[in-house]
Amino acid sequence: MDFLQTSIDGLLFGSAYALLALGFSLIFGIMKRINLAYGSSLLFGGALAVWLEPFLGGGALGLLLVTVFGAAVAGIYVERLCFSPHLGKTGTMASMIATFAIWMQLDEISSQLLPQRTHGFAGIDIEAISFAGIILRSDHVLHFWVAVLAIGALYWTLYRTRFGLLLRASADDPEIAYLLGGRVGLLGVATFAIAGFLGGTAAFLILSSDGQITPHFGLWSTFKGLVAMMLGGVGSLPGAIVGGLLLGFAEAHVTFYLGAEFRDILTFGLLLLILVLRPGGLMGVDVYRTGRLATERI
Amino acid sequence: MGLAPMLRITGLAKYFGGVRAVDGLDIQIDKGEIFGLIGPNGSGKSTTVNLICGVFPQTSGTIELDNVDLGKMAPHQRIESGVSRTFQNIRLFGELTVWQNLWVAWRDAPGHETNWLVNWFGSPADRQHEIQKLLEFSGLGDHSDKPANSLSFGEQRQLELARAMASKPKLILLDEPAAGMNSEEVADLKERILTMKELGMTVLLVEHVMDLVMSVTDRITVLNFGKPIAEGTPVEIQNNEAVQEAYFGSAKNVEAGA
Repeated sequence: MDFLQTSIDGLLFGSAYALLALGFSLIFGIMKRINLAYGSSLLFGGALAVWLEPFLGGGALGLLLVTVFGAAVAGIYVERLCFSPHLGKTGTMASMIATFAIWMQLDEISSQLLPQRTHGFAGIDIEAISFAGIILRSDHVLHFWVAVLAIGALYWTLYRTRFGLLLRASADDPEIAYLLGGRVGLLGVATFAIAGFLGGTAAFLILSSDGQITPHFGLWSTFKGLVAMMLGGVGSLPGAIVGGLLLGFAEAHVTFYLGAEFRDILTFGLLLLILVLRPGGLMGVDVYRTGRLATERI
Repeated sequence: MGLAPMLRITGLAKYFGGVRAVDGLDIQIDKGEIFGLIGPNGSGKSTTVNLICGVFPQTSGTIELDNVDLGKMAPHQRIESGVSRTFQNIRLFGELTVWQNLWVAWRDAPGHETNWLVNWFGSPADRQHEIQKLLEFSGLGDHSDKPANSLSFGEQRQLELARAMASKPKLILLDEPAAGMNSEEVADLKERILTMKELGMTVLLVEHVMDLVMSVTDRITVLNFGKPIAEGTPVEIQNNEAVQEAYFGSAKNVEAGA
């Protein structure tokens, strides 16, 4: 029963990791570049929400909206400064180093918004549900359903609308998409906004579940999102979902059986193991065999 | 004629460092005309196509389409103004289906444009019929849901042509559409270009397959080292000594040009 309970806890919490990883993966799938400032833009959203809380009505809903929009705006800021100037140019270092600079900058701004380091972040009070001896934390159940909705919305957008088709086309061949009249710059902004919506939603769920926010949240969510994405397969959307759930599952079991102090040791050990066995991630393409970083695109 | 030409290129030049890829080109193409641009390799034909589409800016000169100056426009603005093209090396979206490749390039007819919200999130159902017609024109009616990279070489070339037509251009630039085609496919392409002419489309054809160029074009400009060396009807060009000199190095190989 312990195993089942821990597995369910882990998978429910992992659905928030899946959202984090999806935002990461979406940017990588379309830009073919890593955005190191991703977690910091989510931290900015959360910090802005806490900072504005005295002026906001609506409790948790107000926090959610500001977190999501703050993360999306910070994401667009990152796109304009770090990705748009390097569009269509080869080489990924300039973008990545620029995101490193923005990471520091956004963390600093967020620290200014959070002068006491640790601030409360309003939780959502719903009773825990007990079913056949299994206890479900209601906030974790909420994680799960919000993640399902967000993933559904993302898939609908990418595979059922022309906007999604244009995004996929420009991921496939940005130069031709541009020459065919695609508004590649606008699509880049939209990609970062969507990634911000996904990540901001994840950030709200995690912060309200913890009941607090600290300036370390940016680094933490970059790590968790990156690990979940790499586990599942770089640039693969189904991979990001599987990677997020797997990360939640593994963390819950390590915490339960070995203690929280072993959690990150095991998590990063798992990442190393998977990268050795399947360098492209579980659902990505084996990079050494194909010579491509990730042929599975969104 | 009396009417102003549809495309008017005046004194067009493009230098890449010291290389004068295009050096003082004047072309006027009338509406409904199939215009050939030929010349030996490296004579500046593809550079001209790339300049018209806005891949890079010209060093000097002007490019006007229906009296609108394209020269400083971004590629998407040129498409909106009515220019469209195919690519020398096939550049389809390989993982998207045939239908999706056309839907990516689709533009609503002038005067019937929708706003960006409808354009991005609206239903394609009302355009389905027109896209299907375009597929049938290209002989791809049965391949609608196949990924583009599963098509044969000739079919991929046809899809490129259909994709160029999907944006409802005034002027279509065909950059070596017959490259790599077998004689049967070239004959098929010839028919298709002649049909485009019947439909009143205006085409700038860059091509090495002389049989195709001579049988479909109304007028031809010959480039050599970025400069125009001759202009005229296919018959005039075939009998032009400067052209034979440029292609064959001597005026003696008369029959080989046709």
